Amino acid sequence: MKIRKVVLLGSLVAACLVLLTLQTRGYGETARDVFAVVATPIQTGLAKASRATFGLWTTYLDWKNVRAENRRLREEVQELRVRALRVSETDDENRRLRRLLALQENLPLTTLSGEIIAREWGGWIRSLTVNRGRGDNVPRLTAVISPNGLIGRVVDVRPGVSIVQVLTDPTSTVGAHVLRTRTPGIVEGDPRGTLRFKFMARDGASIQTGDMLVTAGQGGLFPRGIPIGTVRSIDNRGAALFHYAELTPAVDFARVDEVLLVTGDSQRDLTAFFPTGG
Amino acid sequence: MRALLILTMAGGSVAHATLTPLVTIAGVTPDVPLIMVVLLALRRGPEFGAFTGFVTGLMQDLASGGLIGVQALTKSVIGFGIGVAGGRLRVSQPLVQVPGLVVLTIAEGLARFALLQIFRFPAPFGELMTYVVLPQALCNGFIGAAFVLTLAWAQTLRDHFEGSRP
Repeated sequence: MKIRKVVLLGSLVAACLVLLTLQTRGYGETARDVFAVVATPIQTGLAKASRATFGLWTTYLDWKNVRAENRRLREEVQELRVRALRVSETDDENRRLRRLLALQENLPLTTLSGEIIAREWGGWIRSLTVNRGRGDNVPRLTAVISPNGLIGRVVDVRPGVSIVQVLTDPTSTVGAHVLRTRTPGIVEGDPRGTLRFKFMARDGASIQTGDMLVTAGQGGLFPRGIPIGTVRSIDNRGAALFHYAELTPAVDFARVDEVLLVTGDSQRDLTAFFPTGG
Repeated sequence: MRALLILTMAGGSVAHATLTPLVTIAGVTPDVPLIMVVLLALRRGPEFGAFTGFVTGLMQDLASGGLIGVQALTKSVIGFGIGVAGGRLRVSQPLVQVPGLVVLTIAEGLARFALLQIFRFPAPFGELMTYVVLPQALCNGFIGAAFVLTLAWAQTLRDHFEGSRP
């Protein structure tokens, strides 16, 4: 039994040595050619299969990478959107402040700039809180304006802040006139948060939708010529003594952020310093 | 069964040359046919080990384009040697398998180098050992151990299922 094993190994070793010897003498080509004929189709098939497998794997990896990249790009887009919003917000604020500064420099009045830090918008009261108060020597009933027009008046001065009654407050009244016709009347706020202009019926026929109303300047509280709003609709009650006109405020009270507090007095008509559509 | 196994080994050796990129680990290609020869020799004895080693090595020689007979000789000797030693060694432990395969791969490398020298195919010994034989030996050691453990696990499962049959 042992001899058989040794003979087998010896035969194999001998075969190998013969093969090696033959090759060194130049007889190896035929064996290679025969092998190539048999093995080439197998190797070709295997290569194709492995390439296909690799291809699938690569496609899967690409898909995974694309997903990861997609997620990364989405996050980047979100970040850029937030940044763009910030830039746009800063730009917007910059523009508003420039307008406010220009108004402050041009107005023939002593004014104090302020920032809205709170809003009371419940309906019973409509007010804004400005970051200027007793320390800034803000008197009570100071007119508060923005580059677009009148906002209201200071009704309460506290340390560091002032409370501004907005024109749409139900208890707010301001003497006004129609810029085009000089029709006088009173602008009142109402609980719905709108403005209405109360005027004598005999003058009513001449008021039109779109007319601009400005402060009348009587009573010395508000300087003359500050825009209040434009006529949106006219409530014509026939023979009534007073007529009402619904107004669209010149200032968007909900969105105003910076204001000017008119601390000085002026008898001049300020219409020319505001956009009045004319 | 034996013929089928030998045929599979021969096909596997041809496939090994084609599928090398798939089995390359960190630039080192394990000699999977050598691992198979060793495992089969351990299970089936020296004759089968020698014959399988011869066929496998021959196919690898033919596929690689080197001297035909070098790997056939070295692998048949290794197959025979392991087949003879298999009955006397405790080879079921990875602690034996890993260094065993490392030593065998180095031995095969040395034998190949000697044959190439005899048949006037000079090769730089130091570089061959450093960059080819030793990394491949380590790789073979670990892959061989993984093979053995997988086979042992499969055998345990098989025994378990056969034992649970009524």
